[in-house]
Amino acid sequence: MSVPAIEIESIQKRYGRFEALKELSLTVPAGSVFGLLGPNGAGKSTLVKSLLTIVRPTLCRGTLLGKKIGHRPTLAKVGYLPEHAKFPDYLTGRQIVSYSARMTKVVAKQATVKTEELLELVGMGHWADKRNGTYSKGMRQRVGLAQALVNDPEIVFLDEPTDGVDPEGRVEIRGIIEKMRDQGRTVFVNSHLLAEVEAVADEVAILAQGKIVERGRTADLVKSGSRFIVRALGPVPFELKAAFEREGAKVAGDRVECECEDAKGVQGIIDALRKAGVVVREVIETRTSLEEVFMRAIRQSKGGES
Amino acid sequence: MMQVAIAVLLDSLHLLRARKMFGIALAISLAIGVAYAAIGFDAEGMTLFGFKKIPNPMMTEGSENAAAFYILLFIDVIVRYWLAWVVILIGLISTISIFPDFLAEGSIGVSLSKPVSRPVLFLLKYLGGLMFVALQVFLLSLIAFLAIGFRIGEWNIGIFWAVPVVTFVFSLIYCVSVLAAVVTKSTAFSLIAGLGIWGFSLLVQWGEDLTYKFGVMMPEMGATVDVSTGQTKVAEEGDGGGARSWQRTFEGIMTPLPKTRACTLWLKRLIVFDDRESPLQGMDLGMVLTGAGDDPQMRELMVKYEARHSAWYVFGTSALFQAVVLGLAITLFSRRDY
Ligand SMILES: Nc1ncnc2c1ncn2[C@@H]1O[C@H](COP(=O)(O)OP(=O)(O)O)[C@@H](O)[C@H]1O
Ligand SMILES: [Mg+2]
Repeated sequence: MSVPAIEIESIQKRYGRFEALKELSLTVPAGSVFGLLGPNGAGKSTLVKSLLTIVRPTLCRGTLLGKKIGHRPTLAKVGYLPEHAKFPDYLTGRQIVSYSARMTKVVAKQATVKTEELLELVGMGHWADKRNGTYSKGMRQRVGLAQALVNDPEIVFLDEPTDGVDPEGRVEIRGIIEKMRDQGRTVFVNSHLLAEVEAVADEVAILAQGKIVERGRTADLVKSGSRFIVRALGPVPFELKAAFEREGAKVAGDRVECECEDAKGVQGIIDALRKAGVVVREVIETRTSLEEVFMRAIRQSKGGES
Repeated sequence: MMQVAIAVLLDSLHLLRARKMFGIALAISLAIGVAYAAIGFDAEGMTLFGFKKIPNPMMTEGSENAAAFYILLFIDVIVRYWLAWVVILIGLISTISIFPDFLAEGSIGVSLSKPVSRPVLFLLKYLGGLMFVALQVFLLSLIAFLAIGFRIGEWNIGIFWAVPVVTFVFSLIYCVSVLAAVVTKSTAFSLIAGLGIWGFSLLVQWGEDLTYKFGVMMPEMGATVDVSTGQTKVAEEGDGGGARSWQRTFEGIMTPLPKTRACTLWLKRLIVFDDRESPLQGMDLGMVLTGAGDDPQMRELMVKYEARHSAWYVFGTSALFQAVVLGLAITLFSRRDY
């Protein structure tokens, strides 16, 4: 595998006496969509800003695109859409994108072509010469995405990109993120909205109170929490109930609920029920949503704290 | 680097274009320029737009007085009141939000995440703020340059000294606003700080000016004023002592401050004429109009009054003030988390 897009050995950030990031480490593989999840105030924005020199970390060892974090020229290969992005009202969409192009030293000719193409991509082609002050929140966010991409970045940081955007816009932004990945870019998305990240991220990390409490491939995280429910016709016989409960399953009336990796794990329960002559009415696989993983991780981190 | 400079300065230009006040001020500047250019001279005196005649034997075509009047009208009235007062005030109001907006959450991150060092970014943004005044002054200076050339045959590039001097004066106030913006991120505080330093330094400069006139000039002319009663009496040896010590106090306070007024007045000394014996030194518009400029003793005192501070004192200490304020602002800007 190639060099990771981000490899943080250790990062810590204190604002005065308040520790916003607690010496965490993190690796983000190149070419994937990475979701950093966490409740408000967890430190997500602080982490991203530290990588982009907007915030000066108290302690930082690691690399961004193979260069030491804080290495300025590397930032020419980075795209960024800040949280609550606010561009000047007097600029047009096109001027906002041009500004970013020049600031990242894109060759003038290329910038013109790229600007046009990106404004089209985010669906702002018709509005490109209207002032930002006349745009809706969703339109501003689209222009924000376009300016983050104008330098053909290897990695793009999007801090709460769907914040304040209507549902239709959210779906479109998700589409744009997928397109970025297809073009081989690394996309780093900060969000407190789980459903969105779940739909688009290949990998996620959950941040709570400045610490990473859970991380892994989205698919694995969701799967590792899979549950199966077996329902019988009529109540589960008493002897079987006791036996299942010894195995760690929960039994209530006609339901047997167990947590296991995959469907193989429930076959034993079904066999036992069938042998006892019980009719199996249905088997339900309930995949835990990321939200449950998230809530559990946060509960655990809070529990560990006290 | 070049591209980054273009990006930041272009952004400032877009901001100016969007500001109504910029356009209004520019239009008034243009009107003033046209009115100025409309003044001419013929054998009998002054003319307006070449036809309306204002007979005045002292202001005939080709006379020293007409030339002095015309140039001083630009320096003593247009620069001194319109450019150094109104344009600077409008400039301050129009550009005051540049830094607070730039530093706002959600806005600053875009610029800081680019491969540009913070001090460079800061200085470019600062220069962008000075453009408002520089453009206005340049326009008027250009008109004045052409008008003076055509009207009195004096093609004097020195007129353009108005551009750096007035812009410099503006920057002395603006840098304090910017420092306040970096510290507080607030437009209101930024404006108060700018107006505050401007007002305070003006008061001190006026105080120094007045006490110099009472404490030094008047005794040398042979008269003295009792500061407590306001009565004038004939000067005696060692008189003017009270006002003189006040003048020293004011001068002391003035030294570390930006000298906005003195810088503007210095312009007169920068606009030199090679083929005449500098007609402007020791003269102001009032003296030309009343004929007081012909009194050699008065002129000598005026020359001394105008030259009481050196260029180093007027510009050097002001530049030093600005360097300290900007240094502080850049340091804070570069160290902060956003
Ligand atoms: N500039 C700052 N000064 C002091 N505290 C800050 C600053 N920025 C963020 N914080 C604090 O750090 C914590 C993490 O903030 P942030 O990174 O914005 O969280 P998130 O993006 O996950 O919502 C919050 O408690 C916030 O109040
Ligand atoms: Mg945040």
